[in-house]
Amino acid sequence: MNDNAMSIPHLIMSASTVVQLVMLLLTVGSILSWVVIFQRSIALRRAQKEYAQFEETFWSGVDLNELYRDIPADDPRHGAEHIFQAGFREFNRLMPKTRNTTTVLEGVQRSMRVAWSREEDRLTQHLVFLATVASASPYIGLFGTVWGIMGSFQSLSMTQQATLATVAPWIAEALIATAMGLFAAIPAVIFYNRLSNNASRLLGKYEDFAEEFHAILHRNLQGRDSASS
Amino acid sequence: MAVKKTRDPQDIGYLWPTVFAIAVHLLIVLFSLVEWPGSDAEPDSSSIVQATLVSTEAFTNRAQQANDQSAAMQAAEEDEATVEEPDTSAAEEAAAEEQAAAEQAAREAAAAEEQALEAARAEAEAQAQRLQEAAEAEAERQREAEEQRRQEEAEAEAQRQREAEEQRRQEEAEAEAQRQREAEEQRRQEEAEAEAQRQREAEEQRRQEEAEAEAQRQREAEEQRRQEEAEAEAQRQREAEEQRRQEEAEAEARRQREAEEQRRQEEAEAAMQRQLEGQAQAAAEAQQAAQAANSFLTIVKRAVEQAWIIPSDASDSMSATLQVRLGPSGEVLTTSVVSSSGDGNFDRSAMQAIEHAAPFGELRQLPAEQQRNLRQFNLRFTPGDVR
Repeated sequence: MNDNAMSIPHLIMSASTVVQLVMLLLTVGSILSWVVIFQRSIALRRAQKEYAQFEETFWSGVDLNELYRDIPADDPRHGAEHIFQAGFREFNRLMPKTRNTTTVLEGVQRSMRVAWSREEDRLTQHLVFLATVASASPYIGLFGTVWGIMGSFQSLSMTQQATLATVAPWIAEALIATAMGLFAAIPAVIFYNRLSNNASRLLGKYEDFAEEFHAILHRNLQGRDSASS
Repeated sequence: MAVKKTRDPQDIGYLWPTVFAIAVHLLIVLFSLVEWPGSDAEPDSSSIVQATLVSTEAFTNRAQQANDQSAAMQAAEEDEATVEEPDTSAAEEAAAEEQAAAEQAAREAAAAEEQALEAARAEAEAQAQRLQEAAEAEAERQREAEEQRRQEEAEAEAQRQREAEEQRRQEEAEAEAQRQREAEEQRRQEEAEAEAQRQREAEEQRRQEEAEAEAQRQREAEEQRRQEEAEAEAQRQREAEEQRRQEEAEAEARRQREAEEQRRQEEAEAAMQRQLEGQAQAAAEAQQAAQAANSFLTIVKRAVEQAWIIPSDASDSMSATLQVRLGPSGEVLTTSVVSSSGDGNFDRSAMQAIEHAAPFGELRQLPAEQQRNLRQFNLRFTPGDVR
């Protein structure tokens, strides 16, 4: 009888409505945060793999025009490929129009920055939700606990004899809310840190690549300038 | 859009992540359900704290002893107080039996009467139905006869008219004959009716007589039954009385025997009896006292339990018995260790628990004789498997 009354499902079912709502909110938050965790983990791992692949092909000495032609123009690519595509397209468009090297390089840099910023947005999407769950769910759980303990003390004032046995189920029931809040928050914190770190490292790599590509174009233009003059 | 989605390697959709997330949660819920029965042992064991104190043994032993001695004393003094009790109880039992028997007899009689009434009613109904049927048949017959008569009359009229012109002489004679025939017919009819009436009446009378006879018979049977029952009752009463008398005689004999025995015992135990004389008087109400004492001891037990801080190094098998002596207002005079647990710390904690729980003011609410009994009792401390 005792273990039945103190089992977790029994405690949850006998909790007050507010506490149950808090528990429901925390459960939903936990499930959603885990959805984000899985989705982002898979997406970031794929982006890393793709970047490694693209870097390999880029530095393998392939002709840049060929590489650009391999990428279908109507197909939006991601990651370093996207940056490369944006930069090279701008370069190709500007080259016939102007002879001024600095103008060309500025235009290329700008378009690559835009592409990079889109990539950043793509990689870090939903991570804010994870951060929200991580910081808010302990407070929500605490609210549920405080509310439950308030109710327990109110009902305690009705009873004649206040022993530990009469208070214990109430407190256990109220503490479940805090446990659930922590249960939702801990994975969210850990994975938020991990995923945002991964994303920023990947973005750093993209930035490096953009600089390198910029340097290559610069070198080419310098060579052409010296060749033409 | 669909093409873009399939080509997009980073957009992996939300289906699989959702499935994974729900699977993770289900797994955790399952763990919480499975793990709990195993980890439940701890809260279970901690509840044993409440059942740690056992103190009634010493008290009940003493009470029984006192009871025996008091019985001996009473026998010696030839006090009738205890002996009267079984007598009265037997009489009460017999009375209850008698009452029950009377009630049953009354119930039976009522049932029989009801049955008889019902039978008579059913018979009367059947008779009425039969009568009605007969009357209907009679009416049918009358109607037929009348119709015939009317036809005959019409025929006669026609005959008369037809023959009036030709044979006026014959008319008179024929009319006479006709009249005679009619008269005869009517007479016959009347006779038949009268006959039917007579028969009906006779039948009715017969039926009434039968019903009366039946009722009479039933009444007689009932009376006889009642008489028999009354006789049986009387017999039973007589037997009960006899038995009671026998029992009384036996009780008397037993009492005398016991008294003799106890008188002999008394002489042998005179010294001890004198010592316990005060308690013997209280033990006359041993039954009542035990109840009150139990409730008092429960209160004491609970108070001591709540005040007891079990030492952290106390093992499950430890057990200490302490003797407590109370003052007249419930304050603790002395506590002494009757059987030590072997751990001084444990004994001290038990003693402190008693001191914390004191005074037991409930003692003053008890009757004076019981107070004397409860002034001294033993408490056993066992922590069980708390830690």
